[in-house]
Amino acid sequence: MIQLNNVTKYYPSSLGNQYILKNISFSFPENRNLAILGANGAGKSTLFRMLAGSEYPNSGTITSSASISWPVALATGIHPQMTGRENTRFIGRVNGVLDLEEYERKVQHFTELKHKYDLPVRSYSSGMRARLAFACCIAIDFDIYLIDEATSVGDQRFKKKAKQSLMNKSKNANIIMVSHDIKEIKQFCDSAVIIEKGQLKFYEDLEDAISVYRKL
Amino acid sequence: MAQVQHRSRLGIWLDVIFALFIRGMQSRFNDKFGISWAIIQPVSFIFILSFIRGVMNGSETHTMPTFVFMVYGIVSLQFFITTLSSSSKALKKDKPLFAFRQVVPISSFIATALFEYIVKLVVIIVLVIIMWFLGIELVLKDPLTVIINFTLLWLLALSIGIIFAISTAFFPEVDKFREMAQRPMLFISAVFFSLQDVPQEYWHYLDWNPLLHAIELSRQAAYPSFGAVGVSQSYLYGCTLVICFLSLVIYKRYWKQAISV
Repeated sequence: MIQLNNVTKYYPSSLGNQYILKNISFSFPENRNLAILGANGAGKSTLFRMLAGSEYPNSGTITSSASISWPVALATGIHPQMTGRENTRFIGRVNGVLDLEEYERKVQHFTELKHKYDLPVRSYSSGMRARLAFACCIAIDFDIYLIDEATSVGDQRFKKKAKQSLMNKSKNANIIMVSHDIKEIKQFCDSAVIIEKGQLKFYEDLEDAISVYRKL
Repeated sequence: MAQVQHRSRLGIWLDVIFALFIRGMQSRFNDKFGISWAIIQPVSFIFILSFIRGVMNGSETHTMPTFVFMVYGIVSLQFFITTLSSSSKALKKDKPLFAFRQVVPISSFIATALFEYIVKLVVIIVLVIIMWFLGIELVLKDPLTVIINFTLLWLLALSIGIIFAISTAFFPEVDKFREMAQRPMLFISAVFFSLQDVPQEYWHYLDWNPLLHAIELSRQAAYPSFGAVGVSQSYLYGCTLVICFLSLVIYKRYWKQAISV
């Protein structure tokens, strides 16, 4: 489904280029819920952002025939001066949602913002903003959802709801997840990819991957 | 759940530009004063400057009404400057949105510049209405050339803006340089004088500036008796073409790095 072709990614620094991936060709296996594991600074988030198309490798390409979401909890695209509804419409337009009104209704219902949905986002609490961002993503049908910090959204009740909706999604769609929370990973994923020293390795069985990860 | 339609690349591109354009309107004009300020500010500026020039040499400047003379200068200059500065800030402003794979910097450059174009069109309409009330006779001999020059100016500002936006992403200091370089534009671009007011031996200090050519040529196109000298339409075309090409080359080479840093 997702294919990395000869991908190199580095960050320039005063100590020379810091390589995250070096000439990696790798294909993410199909129809699996994957966890991306790795130590701090190994490049999990960078890989994640590259999969999302938010960032690009320095050389090589990443191709995919499936539609991939943006990182679920990402709230950066939400403009504080615009209302929740205007923000939703923007995201809908960018992603090519067919029926914007229906999309709006779904997001409004899911976020439980009610009439506040038509107020500027700057008047929202941080939890409400996170709910809006989460709902905008989950209300679109993607083949693959990218999840980071999904369960840190909103209050206890909304967290549960978010988790439940992701569970439902994972039946028809696939999930790629970055988290340090092993319990959460076990809930969602069945396989894992470990990123270490610029190399990617696929583990069919999640338990194997976790035991390797613990030794890192 | 919401269905997503399959779009061609061009379709995605147009959708994104439209979405960014609407977003720009909603976020910039959410206060009632915002939209009127975009119009009032240039109009009041023109009034003050044309008043000063009017005091100096009466109601006619080189066979043009002084007010119209100033309108051509100031609207073109402001159009250039606002398009340049907003497109050179577009990359930074829309950076969070590049998290969506569909949104690429060129879309936000175009959406920003399109927005400036429309704002200035409204400004021009307001000015025409004001002129009608002031009883100034409006002559527009060759509207096509005026529109072409206006659009060339826009394309030029957008291209320079793209170059600055990309270089600012790597070297933030460049933006300071742009702000500094913009300041003297008012004095070297034939805004409140014409090139024919300047002795010929000093022309080479001024006639490299495509903005000056655009302004003088537009005046000439509107009032054939204006008598613009030392300016050339092909120079304006050439300049725009070269800078536009250069900016696209730089964009193509560096845009991915620019949003990844």
